[in-house]
Amino acid sequence: MDGTLTRRAQRTIAYGFLFFILISMATPFFWLISNTFKEQYEIFQLRPTLIPEEPHLRNYIRLFVEFDFAHHFLNSAFIAVAHTVSHLFLASLAGFAFAKYTFPLKNFLFLVLLGSMMVPLYTIFIPLFVLVIRLGLVNSYAGVIIPGVAGAFGIFFMKQSMEAVPNELLDSARIDGASEFRIYLQIALPLVRPALAVLAVLAFMTSWNDFVWPLVVLRSRELQTLPVVMAGMVGMYRMEHGVIMAASLLSTLPILLLFLALQKQFVQGLTVGAVKS
Amino acid sequence: MSSAPIVEERGLRAWWSRSRRKVVPYVFISPFYILFIVFSVGPLIYALYLSLHRWPGTGPMRHVGLGNYTYLAGDPVFLKSLWNTVYYAIGAFLFILPLALVLALLINSTLVRLKSLFRIGYFLPILTSTVAATLMFLMIFNNQFGLINQGLALLGVPALKWLDEELVKISVLAVAAWRYTGINVLYFLTGLQSIPPDLYEAAQVDGAGTWAQFRYVTIPQLRPIALFVGVVTMIGSFQLFAEPLLLADGGPNDASLTIANYLYRMGFTNAKLGYGSAIGWVLALIIFCLSFIQLYLFGAFRKED
Repeated sequence: MDGTLTRRAQRTIAYGFLFFILISMATPFFWLISNTFKEQYEIFQLRPTLIPEEPHLRNYIRLFVEFDFAHHFLNSAFIAVAHTVSHLFLASLAGFAFAKYTFPLKNFLFLVLLGSMMVPLYTIFIPLFVLVIRLGLVNSYAGVIIPGVAGAFGIFFMKQSMEAVPNELLDSARIDGASEFRIYLQIALPLVRPALAVLAVLAFMTSWNDFVWPLVVLRSRELQTLPVVMAGMVGMYRMEHGVIMAASLLSTLPILLLFLALQKQFVQGLTVGAVKS
Repeated sequence: MSSAPIVEERGLRAWWSRSRRKVVPYVFISPFYILFIVFSVGPLIYALYLSLHRWPGTGPMRHVGLGNYTYLAGDPVFLKSLWNTVYYAIGAFLFILPLALVLALLINSTLVRLKSLFRIGYFLPILTSTVAATLMFLMIFNNQFGLINQGLALLGVPALKWLDEELVKISVLAVAAWRYTGINVLYFLTGLQSIPPDLYEAAQVDGAGTWAQFRYVTIPQLRPIALFVGVVTMIGSFQLFAEPLLLADGGPNDASLTIANYLYRMGFTNAKLGYGSAIGWVLALIIFCLSFIQLYLFGAFRKED
């Protein structure tokens, strides 16, 4: 009798705490959504209104007309897609090589690969920028994409799944006269599609949300990505709170939609480091 | 005579079919190593070279030996940014990680259903960009109309200045907590779910209560995941950049400035590329030493017994 009561009390406390944190985390987001439909004066009211008194779409209209949101949205999308496709290609190709071939120095090279993840971005930040200027890549999408396109993590991740590809399949393709690249492309790659999907959502999200590197590389406004343009809205003479909140919301939407469609891949992609540790 | 080229071609072909499996992997992995050397190793060495010079980005460089480093050791703004960064790291270890662990333990316990609601709900903030999240919090912390002060007003508490010198570091930590608690809950859950259930059964047979099971099964079994979470959190804290920049521009009076913010200010705003590179190398050494200490404390170098 005593035990069940304690258990009920424990359960109440557990749920109370879990819901308290959940609501604390969700409230800012709903407040943001509500404010995107408000005029500046209503946002400034001391008593917050959850449902806007006079809901309107002016913040969104201004975002598209004055801040050219669609243009920067497409810039972000282009960079994110280009990064994702080239990263997937390079990572799966190298992962395939590490998983399915034996060659001199393989273990050493793999250690170098793992070690490369230890280099902190900010240590190489300044010389990397100098290099990108010298290569004529400053203020170009190539300058944003190329330095980070062959991430070691992706190769490490793809190696793990490439190891499950049966050797007999590869050997029989060789007997049929297929080149090594065709074996990779037509036999190995289709078999690791689930892993590619996980890596794809991770790469897309990383690139879509990236801020610091595009901030320094993309000088002219028409090339800039959403995070860079949004950060620029803060320092303006008259801060447009409703517009900034609308931008924050709309810029997050693609990732949220992607998450709804590919929940499993997201969770797997973001925790894979922890599992493999 | 006329058959010689054919023999040679056959020889070449034979050589290729024999050794293509030795050559091809190098071709497949070469893009990574070329890019790594050009865009990481090269800049790393160049940063070291730059850090020994004074250079405004154009014109001649002046060799200053270790001058940048000795100046750094006495630079009050750098020391402040170092302290702020350490503050954020300590805050993450004292608040974000324990909170994440408690949430993970609750979700994992038999008391609670709706597990995926909490798991996914906490996880969602990590999907936002640091920019979108920080801009949202910039409004939330606003003195006049921010959500927090509105809430305090409803409770009759006077408004607090969340972005002033006294509170700004707490506010930066709050943004970090909002974005990163959920992902750490997922990490800890991964660890908890990988604990073999028979360990708990054996402990119950031995008469261990809930607390004893937690102390002698859960905690030791969580060691690998705790090490991973610890290293990731430490590295992340020491590279904090966007949150203090957008929330308060590193201010007021450098109260929220991180090492990465100061490096950016020196290297890009003030065009002191040598000095900025020296900051970068000091940052790398700090991160490297702290990673090593964490690995050592968690016994990663000890042989498994």
